[in-house]
Parts: sequence; structure tokens; C-alpha cells
Amino acid sequence: MNGEAAIEVVGLARSFGETPALTSVDLVLESGGVFGLLGPNGAGKTTTVRVLTGVLRPDSAQTVRVLGYDVPGDIEHIRPSVGVQTDTALYERLTALDNLTFFGALYGMPKADALRRAGELLTRFGLADRAAEKVGTYSKGMRQKVLIARALIANPDLVFLDEPTAGLDPEAAHELMTYVRDLSRERGKTFFITSHRLEEMESVCTKVGVLADGRVVAQGSPTQVAREIVPEIRVRVAPAPGAQLDLEALGALAGVVRVRQDDGSAIIEVLARDAIPTLVRQIAAMPADLLAVAEEPPTLEEAYLRLMSTNEKHAEEVDAA
Amino acid sequence: MKANVIRAIAAKDLRESAGSSQVLAPVIIVPLVFVVLYPVGLLVGLRYMSSADVRAFFEKIPVDLVPAISGLSTQGKAAYVATAFLFSAFFLIIPTMMATILAANSFAGEKERHTLEGMLYTPVSDTELVVGKILSAVVPSVAFSWVCFVIYTIIVNVLANPFVGRQFFPTPNWWVLMLLVVPTVSVFVTACVVWVSARVATYQSANSIAGFVVLPIVLLVLGQVNGLMLLGPALFAVVGVVLGALDVLLMRWIVKTFDRERVVSSFL
Repeated sequence: MNGEAAIEVVGLARSFGETPALTSVDLVLESGGVFGLLGPNGAGKTTTVRVLTGVLRPDSAQTVRVLGYDVPGDIEHIRPSVGVQTDTALYERLTALDNLTFFGALYGMPKADALRRAGELLTRFGLADRAAEKVGTYSKGMRQKVLIARALIANPDLVFLDEPTAGLDPEAAHELMTYVRDLSRERGKTFFITSHRLEEMESVCTKVGVLADGRVVAQGSPTQVAREIVPEIRVRVAPAPGAQLDLEALGALAGVVRVRQDDGSAIIEVLARDAIPTLVRQIAAMPADLLAVAEEPPTLEEAYLRLMSTNEKHAEEVDAA
Repeated sequence: MKANVIRAIAAKDLRESAGSSQVLAPVIIVPLVFVVLYPVGLLVGLRYMSSADVRAFFEKIPVDLVPAISGLSTQGKAAYVATAFLFSAFFLIIPTMMATILAANSFAGEKERHTLEGMLYTPVSDTELVVGKILSAVVPSVAFSWVCFVIYTIIVNVLANPFVGRQFFPTPNWWVLMLLVVPTVSVFVTACVVWVSARVATYQSANSIAGFVVLPIVLLVLGQVNGLMLLGPALFAVVGVVLGALDVLLMRWIVKTFDRERVVSSFL
């Protein structure tokens, strides 16, 4: 199934009363991929998840297809193959095991299968020794793990995770993201994740989309999106401790557009990538001792922040006009 | 419609309600007052009341319609009429009250606690969800009404038989009441509360609307149950069957108008 679109959306719009949440969302996610939907609070990420999972109807859309079926028309064909974790709650008076097996039953799993699978997931998330305790006694992070396990109980082909690492400590967040990547690579599962944690998204997502003003304003692999939004070609020159870089001399080299300092290093912006090898030779020949000279690719976080700042400026200009 | 999914929903709700004293306390204490204190109070009191007072007690009741009590003493007539007719309304109030509380807790309560949304993403159908929720309130309501009925039957047989002079309870009317009317009334009330619960955001709102709008209407109808029982078990059974048919129509309508978006939107 890899290569086919697991999710295909064209022109999706949805408002709440007079307030538009999504104005025209277009996105495509290939099967087996991990898609990260990024955006500030209130950008419409959860609304997108709710529309794709058929609990909210779109106001209008040319196409909303999930796993090859139309949403919301064919939603009953989609639901058995989809797991969803959103900001919902667990049954506090039931144990973690009961919470999971109940959802297994809702997916039509035989009790023995649901029990086995719930046990596997709770072990995977480090909760096996507290499986028989009521969820009401759990910490926020533990509840979050049970919510994610609940989304995975029926071994779904497509999993929606809405801010899955919220409330998790960095180690648990890293483990979860590694698990997501393994499930995607080894089992061909497709993930649709919304998050603010851009570093995590960059490491795990095969594709990201940035939601702003009700539209997906950029989408592609994290590298593509970052490069598209931050097109400058840059080289970082890190001096050895005690060494002084001659910024003026660096700025005078052929192909250099500008030079700035960043955390003790120099960041050199160059006209084109093919100017870099000559530049590296010239920098190495300079008197200052160096630790490293390397191309500095843009990060997703940098791209995201730049995009948001551009959007804000644009909105202010529109307001002023 | 999958029976095991419906059973899972109902069983989960029952386990949750069983763990909540806030839900369970009123549904257990109040009925016990109805079925123990009132009948015991009246039947013990009869021993100390004068015949004139006792006659005043049932002068408005058309006792001629009850041939079983002709020839009984005044006290015997009062004991029979009270236990076989008057207290019957309690046995509709018990499941009505219990079903209202349980249904509001299981549906509006789940919305309020943000647990319902999770179920809406699963393959559970609207019919399975609505029927499961209705059963989770109806089954304990009917079962508890039957437990109360057993207790009441023992009390009546111990305290009323000496006045009447023979074993007379349960009368055929009571079998119709317990086996047909109590379940159908429970379904009716629960369905009404589920309908309300799907449209409000909190357990409190569901309980208030159910308490101030649904319950008075239901109780107004229940008030007529004594009169209906006087018509005899066959006609009383017809009332139960009609109510059962109404239940089916009501449940179909609730499933048809059930809208996941409205449930989700109510807490956005």
C-alpha cells in the first residue's frame, strides 16, 4: 500500500459560527509515512483531525479522502482501520487495562486478543506494573501514554496523534517518537501527528505541513520545507577556544553575501552551494585555529519561526491597511 | 448492530457507576425508604387506627371494582388496597429515578468528563452507542426494582396477610407491572434522558432538564397507574405493550437524530 495516498485533502474549509478555523486546507500524505501538522495554538490542527476522523463535518471541500474512502460519507469503512488520540480523558474509575480492553471491544476485538494487545502496549509504555491500578491514580504523563496506547489497541493502519508528547518527559517523548518511526518503517503504519515540538517532528516525520491562517502554507519533507522557507546557503565557522575570527576578512571572500556572529562562531551566507569548497579552503588557510567549518542547513524550527513572524507582519500590514 | 459491543458499553458504564458513591447513594437509599418505611409504617399503623379513620383513607377509591376485598374487615380492605394498588406507583418511581440518574451520568456525565469523544472515533455505530447507553441505565434500574419487589413482597406477606386473612400478594397486576411495565417505563425514561444528554454539555444540566421537564411529565402519567391497575391485568398489559411500542419508536428516532458533531460541538 506504500506510495498510495492515505490522506488526500483539497480545499477543506470549516468555521465555528462566524469564526473561520480552516479556510482552504490542501494536503497529501502517502501511506506508511509520518505526517507532522505544525501550527500555533488555535491554528486549526485539532479541527483538521476531527474532520479527517469524521466527528466534524467540513463546511466545504473538493476532496477529503482517508484510506481511499470519502469523508464523511464512507466514514464507517474508515473507522475500523483508524486509531485516534486527542485531548480526551480516560475512565478514571477503571484500570488502565480495563480502559484499553474496553476500546478493544469497541473495535470488535475478541476479549483475549484485546487483553494480550493491551498487555503488550502497557509493557511497551512502561506501565505493566501499574496496569491493574485505577487511572485516577496516574500522573499526567502516564495518562498520556494510556491515551496513546488506546489509539493503538486495534493495531490500526492510520493513527492520529494530537500533541502526543504533551505531558511526557523528554525521555518518554523520545521513546514514543522512536516507536512511531519503527511502526511506520517496519509495519507500514501511517501517522498523522500534530505538535509544537519542532525538533521531534523534524526527526520523525517524513513530511510536515505548516498550518497558518486556516491553510497549509508549506508542506514537504522537513528538509524541503525548511529550505523553502529559509533559502539562504550558509556556512558555520567555529573557532578554537581563544582564537579570534577576522569577520572582515571572511566578508571579503569571493561568493560571500554577508557574515554575522552566532554564539562565538561566524555564520557566512554565500551566493551558491558550489562556492562552498573554495570558501572552506580559503578559511582553512586563515591564521585563526578552527574547530569546524561546515554547511549550516536551516532547521525546521528556524523555518517555522520565520514563517510565523512573516505571517504576523503580513497580518499587521493588512490590519493597518 | 453487534451485541458484544453493546454489552461492552453497558458493562463498562455499570462498573463505572458502581464505583461512584455520588451516583449510587440516592438510587439505593430513596427506594428503600419507599418500599420499606412507608408500607411498614402503614401496616403497623393500621393496628392502632379506628375503623372510621381507616374508611376515610380509602373512601375515594372505587373499591367496588376490586371484588377480592368484598367481605374483608375495614382494616383488611385498607391493607389490601394500599399494598396491592396505592404503593404500586412507588415501583414506577424507583426505576424512573434510578434510570434518570444513571442515564444522565453515563451520557452527559461522559461528555462532561471528556470521555465520550474518544468513543466517537471508534467503529461503534450510533445504534450500538445509544442502545448500550440505554441498557446501562435500564438493566440496573429494572434489576433493582425487582430486588425492591422481593423485599416488598416479604413485607406485605408478613404484615398484611393477617389483616386480609390469606396470602394474596403478588396479585396478577403486579406480575404485569414488574415484568412488563417497569422495563418499558425504564426504557422510556432513559431514552428521554439520553436524548436530552446528547444536547447539553454537563451532567448537572442533563439532570436539571430531566428533573424539571421529563420527570414531571412521566410522573403525571405514572400517577394514573393505580387507575389502570383497576382495569385488570389484561388491560394493564395492553398499556405495557403500547409503551413498549413507543419505546421502540423513540429509540429509533434518537438513533436517527443522533449526531456526533453535535456531541463534540457541545464541549468545544
